[in-house]
Amino acid sequence: MGTISSAFGIMSQALDADQQALNVVANNVANANTPGYTEEKPNWQENSPLEIGSLQIGQGVTETGATSVRDRVLESRLDQQQQMAASSGSRLTSLDTLQALFTPDSGSSSSKAGDIGSDITSFFDSFSSLEANPTDNALRQSVLSTAGTLSSDISGAAASLNSQRLALDQEASGVTSQVNALTGAIAQLNQQIQTISPNADAGTLEDNRQRDLSQLSQLIGINQITTENNGLAITTTSGALLVSGNSSYQMTTGTVNGVTDFFVGTTDITKSLASGGGSLGGYLTARDGDIPTALTALDQLAYNISTSVNTQNNAGMNLNGVTGTTLAPLYIFNQPTVVAGSAANMSVTMTDPNQIAAAGAGDGTGDNSNAVAMYNLSKQTIVSGQTPTDYYSNFVTTLGATVSSVQTENTAQTASVTQLQTQNNSLSGVNLNDEASSMTTFERSYQAASQVFAMLNTIMGSALNLGEQTTVS
Amino acid sequence: MRVDPFYVTNLVGSLDQAQLNAQQLTAELSSGVSINSLSQNPVGSGENVLLLSQIQEDDSFTQSSSLVTGQLQVADSALGSVVTELNTAVSLATSANNGTMNGSNVRSVGSQISGILDEVTSLANTSYQGQYIFAGGQTLTSPFNTSTATTPAVTSYTGDQGVNYLESPSGQKIQLNVPGSQIFLGSGSNSVFGALNNLIADYSSGTVDTAQATSDTAALNTALNWVSQQRVTIDNSMTQLSAASGAVTSVKLQLTTAQTDLMQADIPTVSTQLSLAETQQTALEDVIAQLNSTSNTLFSKLPG
Repeated sequence: MGTISSAFGIMSQALDADQQALNVVANNVANANTPGYTEEKPNWQENSPLEIGSLQIGQGVTETGATSVRDRVLESRLDQQQQMAASSGSRLTSLDTLQALFTPDSGSSSSKAGDIGSDITSFFDSFSSLEANPTDNALRQSVLSTAGTLSSDISGAAASLNSQRLALDQEASGVTSQVNALTGAIAQLNQQIQTISPNADAGTLEDNRQRDLSQLSQLIGINQITTENNGLAITTTSGALLVSGNSSYQMTTGTVNGVTDFFVGTTDITKSLASGGGSLGGYLTARDGDIPTALTALDQLAYNISTSVNTQNNAGMNLNGVTGTTLAPLYIFNQPTVVAGSAANMSVTMTDPNQIAAAGAGDGTGDNSNAVAMYNLSKQTIVSGQTPTDYYSNFVTTLGATVSSVQTENTAQTASVTQLQTQNNSLSGVNLNDEASSMTTFERSYQAASQVFAMLNTIMGSALNLGEQTTVS
Repeated sequence: MRVDPFYVTNLVGSLDQAQLNAQQLTAELSSGVSINSLSQNPVGSGENVLLLSQIQEDDSFTQSSSLVTGQLQVADSALGSVVTELNTAVSLATSANNGTMNGSNVRSVGSQISGILDEVTSLANTSYQGQYIFAGGQTLTSPFNTSTATTPAVTSYTGDQGVNYLESPSGQKIQLNVPGSQIFLGSGSNSVFGALNNLIADYSSGTVDTAQATSDTAALNTALNWVSQQRVTIDNSMTQLSAASGAVTSVKLQLTTAQTDLMQADIPTVSTQLSLAETQQTALEDVIAQLNSTSNTLFSKLPG
């Protein structure tokens, strides 16, 4: 049977509960702009009723803490999408730097500087001019100077590519310490969560773990596996274990073939990291894929131009009436032995313009048949089945198409991240309107409880005075 | 349904995008170039390389052809002078052969023809920008020398049979020279120097062996026609060169138009896009300013 004192009890519990709920609201508003904070909702629990015979008498309410509003699946999808967007983002940054080396020539004379395409044409055209007057010193000099421009632009581009690769390598290896710090923190949080809240959402701790996961996802591609007692195991996308329960496994680096490779334990995971995602994935794709591809193309171009031109010049006769021999070859360019490194090492070794073999072997020095043959090299498929200009044109088209497709990919992925972020924010973000409304509700509820309390007090006074009006007010 | 409480952040992202867009369009307008990086138009970039290469090649051919036109003109005018000289020699010889001249006059004709020989030799040794143009491939040495050790004297050729060609961008080969031996020392009665030397020998003594001199004069006439025929080759080359040069110039014009169309920014379109981008940017800024004001949550309506 209910008594006035038990009603007091119910009301004082209600006041407590409302205060706690107001606390939750205050905490939400305070953290409205905290990154990674998940909105919390107060938990209300009806107290077990008092049963007297067949009578059930309600016993009020208790506030049993707060629960974070979270969707783990959504969070994990967001992480995955972030890995992909971060990967294409960092790859795009590298590719933008790469393509800046091959900015299209607008056709004005100032934009020609450094344009390999126009260098190739100028070089072969210098032989076409030499046809007009094969003994002319100025025309011969122009062959050497255009050769110099061509070789220095190709070797300059190769040097830039190499230093870009080195910079990417350093950036990539710098990611390691961040990854290790994050996996360490996650392992620690795992332990705390397993101790404090093995069966339910761990609130702030969980927020912290999620924030670390999100940061880790920006860096590398990971898989998350939920384990018992609210734990979390993390592996790289290829399955190398980074965090298991309360232990984390360090990622280490080592130099292999002149570049940084990444290890977990003794396993080299560089290749799988490159395709895995995160900014590290992007760096590695650019370092081990895009830049070497561009370099190889330039190497091929440099190798074939150098060797073909050298061979042709060697077959002719110079202005002194001398034909090249094996021992004393008439080489214009530094003769490469292998394709790799040809671009970086391309240079003009010939210094005397009289060494240019414009005449055919056995002809007079005023003959131009070898100059014609040299000029014709520009129309022959001397570079991988294409003419030098066609090859370069295809090279820029391929490079441009790669950059453009990564751009498209990155735009789509970023849009997807934004969308997921919006979904997640609308679920878990602190909405100040909601908080204002909750606060008003709880405030009203508190006021009501206070009023009831006051009324009970009056009733209690009446009971104590047994009808007398003045003794206890 | 709940909404993203941080939607203003997303709007700021859109604002960034709009600003970037405006920036790119401004860059396009100020440079006047529509393709500023390969990724903007990969196929166009590749096409541009090919077009520029052809334009450059055409330019280069036009320059080369003006160089060799000079050489061909010099060759043509030298051969023109040779023809004039030989005509004079033929008429001198014809007057000497008619039997009315005394010995001293005949010797005078001989020495005049000898002067013509010197003149023709010097014309055959014509050089252009340091190159002997009738020396075949041996352009650095003067090709014709006359030795008077024997009678008749012998003019010998130290050049070779080399013929140079200029190749046009379309692959057409234009002959640039005719070897001197072919012009001046043709076989049989086509040899200019042979005929001249013979005539000089015929008139050197003052008495004319009419039969011999008439036959030698006929030979000189034949040689004269031969030189004219050789001159046609040079003239043909000049015609070919001028035609090729003209064709290349018109091709270059087309290519330049194509290249300009490809690379030049379309100013009206870009300006319109820029104006749209700016409008969008202003609108976004207004929206963000509006949303960011504090009076936008329920809290502002609460008492106290």
